[in-house]
Amino acid sequence: MATALRSIPDAALGELRSICGEAFVLTDRSARFNRARVSTAFPVHRWADFVPDVVVLPATAAEVSDIVRLANAWSLPVVPRAGGTGISDGARPLRGGILVDIKRMDQILEVDLANRTATVQPGVNMRVLTDYLRPFGLIYPDQPGSYSQSLIGGRIGTNGWSMVGGRYGHPRDLVVSFEMVLPTGDIVRVGDGGGKSIRKSSSGYQLKHLFMGHQGTLGIATEATVEVVTRPECELPAYFAVEDWMAGYRVLGTIAHEGVATLSRVFLYDGWRLEYPLSEPLDFISPGQAVPCVGFALHGIEEEVRGAGKRLMRVLSQAGGRYLGDEVSRFEWASRYDRYIQPLHLGRARDGQVIPMYGHAQDAAIPYSELPTVRQKYEQIVRSLSERHEVFLFEETAVHPNGAFRAGGDYNMELRVGIWEQRLNDESWAAWVKAKRDLAIVAIEHGGSISNGHGTVCDGEVDVLPLELGHAFEVMKKIKRTLDPNNVMNPGKMGLDAAYESEFRDDDT
Amino acid sequence: MATKPSNPEPSASSEAEREVLEKWSAAANVCFSSGHKYCQPMCPVMQVTRNENHSPTAFNANVVAMERGELGIEDVASDYVHCTQCGGCEIRCPNTLFTGDMYRFRLRTVDIVKAMRALAVESGIHQPAWEVWNRATDERKNEPVLGDLEVSQERVASWADGLDLPIGGETILFCDCEAAFYRTSLPRSVAAILSCAGVDFGLMREQWCCGGPAAEMGYMEQARRFAQHNVDDWRASGAKRILVLDPHDYIAFTEDYPRFFGNEFDFEIVLVVELVAELIRNGKLELTQPVERVVTYHDACRLNKRKGIYEAPREILRAIPGLTFRDVDRVTQWAYCSGGGAGLPIERPDLTAEISRRRVEKAAELEIDTLVSACVWSERYLAAAASEREDAIDVVDLMELVAQAAGLSSDPVS
Repeated sequence: MATALRSIPDAALGELRSICGEAFVLTDRSARFNRARVSTAFPVHRWADFVPDVVVLPATAAEVSDIVRLANAWSLPVVPRAGGTGISDGARPLRGGILVDIKRMDQILEVDLANRTATVQPGVNMRVLTDYLRPFGLIYPDQPGSYSQSLIGGRIGTNGWSMVGGRYGHPRDLVVSFEMVLPTGDIVRVGDGGGKSIRKSSSGYQLKHLFMGHQGTLGIATEATVEVVTRPECELPAYFAVEDWMAGYRVLGTIAHEGVATLSRVFLYDGWRLEYPLSEPLDFISPGQAVPCVGFALHGIEEEVRGAGKRLMRVLSQAGGRYLGDEVSRFEWASRYDRYIQPLHLGRARDGQVIPMYGHAQDAAIPYSELPTVRQKYEQIVRSLSERHEVFLFEETAVHPNGAFRAGGDYNMELRVGIWEQRLNDESWAAWVKAKRDLAIVAIEHGGSISNGHGTVCDGEVDVLPLELGHAFEVMKKIKRTLDPNNVMNPGKMGLDAAYESEFRDDDT
Repeated sequence: MATKPSNPEPSASSEAEREVLEKWSAAANVCFSSGHKYCQPMCPVMQVTRNENHSPTAFNANVVAMERGELGIEDVASDYVHCTQCGGCEIRCPNTLFTGDMYRFRLRTVDIVKAMRALAVESGIHQPAWEVWNRATDERKNEPVLGDLEVSQERVASWADGLDLPIGGETILFCDCEAAFYRTSLPRSVAAILSCAGVDFGLMREQWCCGGPAAEMGYMEQARRFAQHNVDDWRASGAKRILVLDPHDYIAFTEDYPRFFGNEFDFEIVLVVELVAELIRNGKLELTQPVERVVTYHDACRLNKRKGIYEAPREILRAIPGLTFRDVDRVTQWAYCSGGGAGLPIERPDLTAEISRRRVEKAAELEIDTLVSACVWSERYLAAAASEREDAIDVVDLMELVAQAAGLSSDPVS
């Protein structure tokens, strides 16, 4: 039976229609149900709990500002949504309210060739921008798994991670400045200093970094000025089979410390994901290939890439790596986005039946020294979960350098878990939430961070965000309450309701 | 556009709804489980409206929500208007691209859209313009492609006036409604080309609409009835082979008709574009007259994305002397469309116009003077979009160019 849904007062609805136009205020059930989930694990059995009360599709920052002001006047929650491709729950409404879908804000406003920036609305996608920049010999080098479908507004909202960040940086480096509609409706531009195309400044607080990763709790990004860079003359991807994970781990560190400036990505996959297809009678994958794989990609001018490529090939060969060949390397690299989530390829029931499984990617940031231990603990947590509940499956781990502009130091420890969402119930969902919390605690205990690019918003992990941040979380709460006095922006997220509890307020005053 | 109530009274699912959901549950859940939305940048409608309800993701998610009793057909019927059934979403989906062969799986969003439109009609939910269009088609036996001007069975073969084409025979040329009444230069070109190359063919005794558009808009009973008529006509005239000059008909004859008639449907369906490519290749059709144009090719969605036919049109273009051909690869064109398919221009002409405007803009970036299509349903809207521009891009059908290069007249009848 269809769940009865809440609605907002008719007068507020009328005001929204005056702001956005009749056609861009959606109250029908389909519009609302289709904006409840993002690309992270979703308790589909509780779908109705997460539908917004109304969906609006604004076109300008002024409209967004008016919507937020209205939300304050009517005490309505506001949840921003960009591409809806997030692997954390920033855009999942928890208390209904107004869902602000920014996809219509998709204009490329300016390309400043002299100062090497592009200014765009937040609904612009990275691939679209790079296509637009092609005639100028430029690219916008933010490349998440969702490269062709996520939006720059969402990349700001999550403080995302880019596959080629080792060479070009991540959104926090690539978004030079941006415009935010604050929780009160005021519009500010934040960057390093005041000029919209200034990359580094010592003027005032560096507010860009406060709002980067806001997850909708501090407002809505409505314009961004981003870095554009010279289209690389040369690209070299190379993939190697290695004997075992520890061998891959060691060579990963060696490559990272070679000091190769054109190294945009280096990674280690454990090969477990190939277990399923290998268990079937398929002639085209030979069993010997199901071993861990180390790969790298170089970008730059030809002389740099050719020289660095030879050097890294030699390093990998000396470490026992077996080059998988140009064809595999080029294909794997070209399909790096598309291979992100393929439910059938991941999903197996215990009886071997192929089932569609959502492939969740947990994305902790972990110091290099801790990776082997964390990987073992991660595997234990998920294997234990899957033993108790058939709807979960341990799939694989992947490791990538986490920082910008150079490899080494801390790494993105990606853990992939298959979830048979169709069969989720309250019991299995509670087990998942507990597992998320346990995984987060492991990351924290080993000096890491719960998430390197998706966000710490999901059920379970969010409970231990204060544990990760320590007293800094108290500062976060103060900032939240100061900027969002009525708690209208994405309420309930990141544990920030605590900012409005009387005890905290008393402490503050 | 039909409006949707905010909080409808929950209604018991109809038997028809249960059948549709059962059939499409697995496919919809594969999409819903992945949630990666690679399809959305491909989708010509979503590119324009930027409304997630108009995305392939939503078309699949709706099925999941209906299965769980949260949405009913009355909630989602208008979502499914927003699709040209181009198939870009299916072919771009990583589930199709990377694991489809292994698991014999291909995303089937177009079929889901068709099924949900059919369910809407069966449930008494009609989109106003589609209802009028299909009623008119039912009355006149051909689509009302001339607006207020009457189309009728009496004039369905008027395009062939003066060509002296026989009726019946083993090979029948099926002439699409848009071609028969609106762009008669296309069937005249095709007839001239086939005759020149020595291909014997006849026309139907009484040609009704193929029924494909009705099937695309959800009027399945009508589609089936029209199909039955056409098949009966083919059998009555001893036809074994049907030549098809329009990709939409090609879909109807290779997908809808086999579903309707099963193994009894034993006609050979030949796409004219592929036949002409073969005739040129075999030297049976010589292209000797230079065509001094700078062209690009608009990959017809139903050929490129739905049927994987992209080589033959290019082979033909490369065989035309004098032509400068500035190609855009077929994969890039997965994201292109004219917006002219699956009834979108009937119910949402504003969206079709914008989709076509963007397509022509892409062509104009190549500094061409002619946009060549192999889909007659795209040409009206692309031409309208081109006519709004100052650079005067000509929109022509591939067969019109071939006729010109073969030195054949394709003057349309008045």
